[in-house]
Amino acid sequence: MEQFLYYLKVSLKSIRRAPLPYALTILILSLGLGVFFANATFYYRLNADPLPHKSDKLFFPFMNLVPYECQNCEPPNVLSYSNVQKLSATDIPSAKAAMYSADGYLRLTPQQPPLPVKIRLTQPDFFRMFEVPFLHGSVWPDASARAEVILSRHTAEKLFGETDVVGRRLTLDDFEYTVSAVLADWTMLPRLFDANNNNHLSEVEDIYLPLETGYDRNYLSNSQSSSFQDADYRKLATDGRTKAIHQLQFWVQLDTPEQQQAYRQFMANLTADEKKAGRHPSTINNRLVGMRDIVAHFNQQGGDIKAFALVTLLFLLVCLFNASHLSLNRYIANQYEISLRRALGASRWHIQQQAMADVLLMAGITSVAALLIGYSGISLMNYLLPANRLFSSWDWALLLSLLAVTLGCSYLVTLYPSLRASFGALNQQLKE
Amino acid sequence: MIKINNLSKIFRTELIETHALKNIQLHVSEGEFVALTGPSGSGKSTLLNVLGTLEHFDSGDYLLDGQSVKGLSDKALSALRNEKIGFIFQGFNLIKDYSLFDNIELPLRYRGFNAAERKRRVEHALEQVGLAARRDYHPSQLSGGQQQRVAIARAIAGQPRILLADEPTGNLDSLMARQVMELLEQINQNGCTILMVTHDPEQARRAGRQVQIIDGQLSDAAMYDPLAHNNAHAQSSPVAVA
Amino acid sequence: MISLHLILKSMLRRKVVTSLLLVQLALTLALLSNSSLLALQTWNQLSQPTGLDLDNILYVSLKPTSKNLQEYPAFADLLERQLAAVRQMPGVAAVSFTNQSPLMEGGSNGNVNDENNRENNTQSVPQYTVSPDFLKVLQLDVLEGEIPQKIEAWDGESTVPVVLTKSLAERVFPGKSAIGQLTNGGPVAAVIEDFYGQRNAERVMYNRLQIAQIYGVAWGYGIILRVEPGQAQHIRSQIPDVLKTADSNIEIFSVRTMDEQLHRMFRNEFGLATLLAVLSGLMLLVSMISSYSNAHFNALKRQQEIGIKRALGASKHSILLEMLTENWCTTAAGAGVGIVAAWLLNQALALVISIPALPVWLPLSALLMLMCCVTLATWYPATIATRVSPATATKTL
Repeated sequence: MEQFLYYLKVSLKSIRRAPLPYALTILILSLGLGVFFANATFYYRLNADPLPHKSDKLFFPFMNLVPYECQNCEPPNVLSYSNVQKLSATDIPSAKAAMYSADGYLRLTPQQPPLPVKIRLTQPDFFRMFEVPFLHGSVWPDASARAEVILSRHTAEKLFGETDVVGRRLTLDDFEYTVSAVLADWTMLPRLFDANNNNHLSEVEDIYLPLETGYDRNYLSNSQSSSFQDADYRKLATDGRTKAIHQLQFWVQLDTPEQQQAYRQFMANLTADEKKAGRHPSTINNRLVGMRDIVAHFNQQGGDIKAFALVTLLFLLVCLFNASHLSLNRYIANQYEISLRRALGASRWHIQQQAMADVLLMAGITSVAALLIGYSGISLMNYLLPANRLFSSWDWALLLSLLAVTLGCSYLVTLYPSLRASFGALNQQLKE
Repeated sequence: MIKINNLSKIFRTELIETHALKNIQLHVSEGEFVALTGPSGSGKSTLLNVLGTLEHFDSGDYLLDGQSVKGLSDKALSALRNEKIGFIFQGFNLIKDYSLFDNIELPLRYRGFNAAERKRRVEHALEQVGLAARRDYHPSQLSGGQQQRVAIARAIAGQPRILLADEPTGNLDSLMARQVMELLEQINQNGCTILMVTHDPEQARRAGRQVQIIDGQLSDAAMYDPLAHNNAHAQSSPVAVA
Repeated sequence: MISLHLILKSMLRRKVVTSLLLVQLALTLALLSNSSLLALQTWNQLSQPTGLDLDNILYVSLKPTSKNLQEYPAFADLLERQLAAVRQMPGVAAVSFTNQSPLMEGGSNGNVNDENNRENNTQSVPQYTVSPDFLKVLQLDVLEGEIPQKIEAWDGESTVPVVLTKSLAERVFPGKSAIGQLTNGGPVAAVIEDFYGQRNAERVMYNRLQIAQIYGVAWGYGIILRVEPGQAQHIRSQIPDVLKTADSNIEIFSVRTMDEQLHRMFRNEFGLATLLAVLSGLMLLVSMISSYSNAHFNALKRQQEIGIKRALGASKHSILLEMLTENWCTTAAGAGVGIVAAWLLNQALALVISIPALPVWLPLSALLMLMCCVTLATWYPATIATRVSPATATKTL
């Protein structure tokens, strides 16, 4: 320890002798790392798996079951009510839930000013499939229509000022509902079950309503809905259930490869039957897309973050080259002193240890500077690309890996010069 | 060739040199071989540097080949140095990274000679010092004496009127020192004025004239030096030194 | 006077340092060219013609907060009250309702085709339901036909006439007048000037209008108005209160000028281009630092060499030129590699975002800029280097 402190003292002395080159090295290294940190944060978060133990078992089935003829068409990104009914008519999946989202206005009493809310209209398996935690109450017993809502914890607190509000009544878009459950704190980022139109980048909804009730009350999807025949999309209760109004997402849980194979077969049989019945004029194009591939399937992989990732990596490389260049210059300038130490009996190991002290000191200063620059970078990116702003937070795992990267880079930047200094010909340097 | 009247130099900054020059009075005629002697720190090197226009002086006059040096711009001084003066240093001061050829060629480049002319002159100079075969060597591959001969070749390649040598044999053993001295005498006989700083009384005696400097002042004896012993020279052929 | 040959030799001798410098310069040039390209592209997108008076058209996006108000006839009454209130504001030249704003990524859209020739189908055409004053708000001239003056209701029986923008009319009915022709949405009543509808459409100038009631307000609706020049900010601050006075049961999502709509539409491109520009700036800074420190270090390391050269007759000027030339050579060599790197980066970026091919002049101007920065950064240490005293530098220790 005493020895290490001595090494640190020597490092500090050599910095004080030539503060500008050292400051520039630190500046360049922390610029590179800071910019890299900022982007790595988004990249890591956006590509995170919100359900790592389960995401390979969740699938979104797509098929071209639409009332128009289209050869070589991609199946629509959302399903119709009747599509979902047909895809649900099997026991193969361990769980299945159709869903969509809508906007609404929530009040305790009709006289209150309204609270704008995002609604998810779905079926009971949704909560099991995505492991949504409950604080109070329980999920609806079945998928049928009922005037019961499930609130997020935040919404319950905002509306009632407390969370234990099971059984209380509220008004959503002029209709009365009973609260059947309140969720515990729950976030899922990215929200892969809702990747249509980049919605996976936004927060979870405020309130949950049974899907059937949503259709009865004519809630139209707020993200994507398409009609493939003459239909009045304002009449979801009737036209919405029978005609080709597509707005539903549908997820099935298939735990084993056998289940997955069976469900694929089920889809094949289903579309073949429909074709025979004349209800599937297009070419058959069935897809069973896993949750991990859903963003790619919708072709929404955030090209800008990727492009920026590529560029920041190059920038880090430039800064590394540059910093090692600067630090090489510093070491060459110090070579006489190093040779003198060697002549006085310091072994290469001692010199290497001195270099390690340099590395630690540099890593320490650089991490602080890089985190500061990284933080400003994130703020700038949040301002310029607000769609990704939920993906900008640091957790310990990320922070520690960032620190490890800093240490690694400091080591790289110091390694070559120190090797060169300690292995340089001793007598030649002293003679010069 | 060199006329110095009342020349003084005062160091105002903290440099290694602590002595200044006081009222120096020195005339050197063309073709002379002058040895500049004196104890360490007496101002020999400073005088040589002033003569070589490497350092400025504070007062007095310095006429080099009839031209006053005072008030000349950096560019004019550099050109003057390049054309009229050749330097030989105790530490040789060859550029390590350059080959012998490149080293000798350097002042010719500043002179603006074309490539063919440079090549001719460099080869001629290398021949004069007997290192023609080693033109592509680097200084580190040569002995001290050879390096000094390269430095001499560099100094004479541009055919300067004056050669300023600062202890040219200071770093050499006696055999090599003698060879270098012989070379210098040869050059002097070819018509080049030489001013040489030396510690060695033997070498000083070999010069045509001795000037002593003590505490920044020329000693009295030197001021009344008799007529130059060696006014006229016939152009003699170059001498190869082994 | 300066030997390129000697400079190259000295660069080759410092292999590691020089190659570090080269790689970095090459990457800088690559990045600088591509981010300028992206910035240029965004700027072009932002300054493309929209057919709209960007500064003097305001769009209010809003929605009734009660179910009752969201449905006819209560909604029609609400609209009437709102339009009347806005129309009375001083500085408002024209006002209309609309189901959606121009200058959007996507929105309500659908197919348009010639009912007699369904093969020729145009997909994703924005479909506007507006009041007749919509054309006054956007200041669009009627090129052919007449704009219906009656706001049609959607009774499911009668067809509602459509109004097409010029380029769409030419696309659907090539080589003939569109007036009176039947589209899948109804007969064509008029053809109007082009304006920028939705970015995701087949062509941004394709638009279909119907003078009709707003079909549904699940996604909200809009009130669009043209203001007298210079009044935009004032009216924008007043309009929420005016609308709330007409009926307080509404949520106002935003009030924007068309210029803001345009910028929002290219927000991602703008963001990325800005980020890359910031990064390019940082890269230039890093290059300057490295040039500076390299020259500074060189000057220190080669004090003796410079002193010797000075003694041999090199003027300060030629020493300065020599150091600058050395840096220029490195920059030029780095740039040579950089032009290839710029092209490669361009290809790589094209895989993830839409970026045009790199024009030749761009890396060349990036090179010029890099040269300027490098020269600037080298100047000071090079000047210091020329101040080396030849007398001191040539002194033997």
